[in-house]
Amino acid sequence: MVGGGVIQQILRRKLHSQSLATPVLSWFASKKVNEDAGSSGVRALALLGAGVTGLFSFSTVASADEAEHGLACPDYPWPHDGILSSYDHASIRRGHQVYQQVCASCHSMSLISYRDLVGVAYTEEEAKAMAAEIEVVDGPNDEGEMFTRPGKLSDRLPQPYANESAARFANGGAYPPDLSLITKARHNGQNYVFALLTGYRDPPAGISIREGLHYNPYFPGGAIAMPKMLNDEAVEYEDGVPATEAQMGKDVVSFLSWAAEPEMEERKLMGFKWIFLLSLALLQAAYYRRLKWSVLKSRKLVLDVVN
Amino acid sequence: MAEEEVVDPKKYLEESCKPKCVKPLLEYQACVKRIQGDDSGHKHCTGQYFDYWSCIDKCVSSFDFPFSVHFVIFLYVMILR
Repeated sequence: MVGGGVIQQILRRKLHSQSLATPVLSWFASKKVNEDAGSSGVRALALLGAGVTGLFSFSTVASADEAEHGLACPDYPWPHDGILSSYDHASIRRGHQVYQQVCASCHSMSLISYRDLVGVAYTEEEAKAMAAEIEVVDGPNDEGEMFTRPGKLSDRLPQPYANESAARFANGGAYPPDLSLITKARHNGQNYVFALLTGYRDPPAGISIREGLHYNPYFPGGAIAMPKMLNDEAVEYEDGVPATEAQMGKDVVSFLSWAAEPEMEERKLMGFKWIFLLSLALLQAAYYRRLKWSVLKSRKLVLDVVN
Repeated sequence: MAEEEVVDPKKYLEESCKPKCVKPLLEYQACVKRIQGDDSGHKHCTGQYFDYWSCIDKCVSSFDFPFSVHFVIFLYVMILR
């Protein structure tokens, strides 16, 4: 309160005086005279000044973060977006084909088994046949030796590299991440992965990317180790759908979304059912509470004053 | 084999969105011209580039209806006509 009054005095003096020197002098004089009372006002002014300069410096730093965070990806209208919308299972099947033919040479999906695909993208026979194409190390046998056998439904999808070090060594130091949970592991995962896969463009003027890396505006920092993998007609779909870059991107993201959230359809059904039922229960509970409390809420208290 | 002219829907939409995003494109081109003579390596047009591409992206994502086989066939038919 007192500090505010001092500031008002200072301002009035600044407005009324003619030269630059007098307001400064009078300000110092007033500062000395009202030292105890005025110090809080001066402190407030100093804090305000510090805050403003801080804000200015912060804004110049923020503008350098653009490429660091990557270009924000737009929200695409996924068919499985609605409150009661299921996955497009034909798309999941095509997406698995894209994964197998384009991505599996570098990216593992070690949390998905062949049996998970049954009833989602393939029939049991198809999945068994696919599993049988791979060789799996099993054992030890009765002689204590490890042996290889054809895959079964219970086996996980095969890994391209034995471990992370091998993966890094084969990819110039960069580790192609496991894709089992990638759409949940990245902010706005589904849209991000689609934008990334279909977003390889020429870098802006003034940006040069070193040998071995590629420019992608959506990737944080802009320089990604993965080259553009989705090109028109890279895959020939079993169902005859034309395999454009956007089509393959959409299908592979549907597949990855399913892989990360296989329970989505059941979850939506359960959620819809229980939210509906609990809303009814809420109405019932509210009515019952008000019914029981009405006795107390409608009572009248009489203060009997002794005369 | 019928002649298949497969058009990538995303690229097609990006092309058709270009007229809506002329302003950021001109800003980007102006920036390119400005930094042409620079050899220090510190000047770049990432800001204008991002503004342009986020305009295109917004336009593309608002325009596309659930992109599916039907949309691709629709485009396919449209191109052939």
